[in-house]
Amino acid sequence: MLSLYRAGDSPLHRMPAGPKLVLLVVLVLAVSLLPTAPWAAGVSVAVCVVAYLFGGGMPQLAVLAQQFWALKWVVAFMLVGQLIFLGPVPAVLNTMRVTAAVLLATLLALTTRVTALLDALERGLAPLRFVRIDPARVALMLTVTLSTLPVMGRIAHDVREAQRARGARAGVRTFAVPYLVMALKHADELGDALAARGVR
Amino acid sequence: MVISLHDVVVRLGDVDALRGATLDVDARTVAVIGENGSGKSTFARLLAGLVPAASGTVRVLGLDPARDVTELRRRVAVIFSNPDAQIVMPTVAEDVAFSLRPQRGHRKEDRDAAAARVAAALARFGLTDLAERPAHDLSGGQKQLLSLAGAFVREPELVIADEPTAYLDARNARLVSDHLLADSGHRLVLATHDLALARRCDVAVLFADGQVRAVGDPAEVVAEYEALLTC
Repeated sequence: MLSLYRAGDSPLHRMPAGPKLVLLVVLVLAVSLLPTAPWAAGVSVAVCVVAYLFGGGMPQLAVLAQQFWALKWVVAFMLVGQLIFLGPVPAVLNTMRVTAAVLLATLLALTTRVTALLDALERGLAPLRFVRIDPARVALMLTVTLSTLPVMGRIAHDVREAQRARGARAGVRTFAVPYLVMALKHADELGDALAARGVR
Repeated sequence: MVISLHDVVVRLGDVDALRGATLDVDARTVAVIGENGSGKSTFARLLAGLVPAASGTVRVLGLDPARDVTELRRRVAVIFSNPDAQIVMPTVAEDVAFSLRPQRGHRKEDRDAAAARVAAALARFGLTDLAERPAHDLSGGQKQLLSLAGAFVREPELVIADEPTAYLDARNARLVSDHLLADSGHRLVLATHDLALARRCDVAVLFADGQVRAVGDPAEVVAEYEALLTC
């Protein structure tokens, strides 16, 4: 799984996953719904910085900078798109708010183990039982989906490497067919492994 | 009898992967050998309840894999050749803990007991220092050790391993084999192409063309297999 989790003992690390999820969702929504104004952008950035400080003190600000850097192309894409249609000031203010919201959402993954999130999701989705949906299965499905992403990346890399080794030209068909075959094979194997570990 | 098959047919698509296989084995470690396509892996998957028998009777630890699935999952663990396909959770410790989810309670004592079992499994397979590492970043050998930890943390009565050393170098293959063959209260069914490894088991079973061709002392069964290869 794409795990961002970093071990720590901050208030956010110690907070149970369920309430933390709710708190961060509220903060993300609040930041997202603020108006396009300089004060709102300032508040968004301040909320983000304070939240990261609660997630590990001053060292966490370095993590915030890393996460921001990881988003640089997304930020650039947002900024350029809005510069064209809205002009410089709204573009900068909107981008600041959206970036703060994304960074706040990332804080959940940075301070919460996937196992704890899985448990919290299972509890949170418990009402789905009334419509005959098993919350454990939904939570597991989300986990497995995320856990499969690095494997899909590796399969894509292997297929490209095999094509290069055989001197094949890059093309959608020559890539898609072996990629799909290998992805489906992985799905079969993962299904067997899950069944063998008692997941039904 | 640990494993009992009588006239079992397993159909995979249009192909009969097992064709009237009959076998009774009661030993702590059983090696399953044979050429590719001989039925070894199908046999292992049949015992694990992952493929159904089209006809015949199958008993594993006295259970019918098709009917007693829940009980079978509780008492039997499976190791596959590709460790990548067995990783479900992001970190090493979480992946081992995942094996206990289906049987874990929600009380604090249950969680603490599960955590202690996970810590013991990590220590047993030399993974304690890697506990917080992303599971997908491990080497092939470490990933297979993680698979073993995920299987053994459940304290299974029977471990079914389908070519568990296929992707490993000699050193890691030896390490994984030693762990599997060690007497820790479990029984082992080991499908393998490694004939030296097969010789270390108590009993060997030779599959050919979807049928059981020989059962008995590993040295004799391996010799029979090697004679077939030179024909």
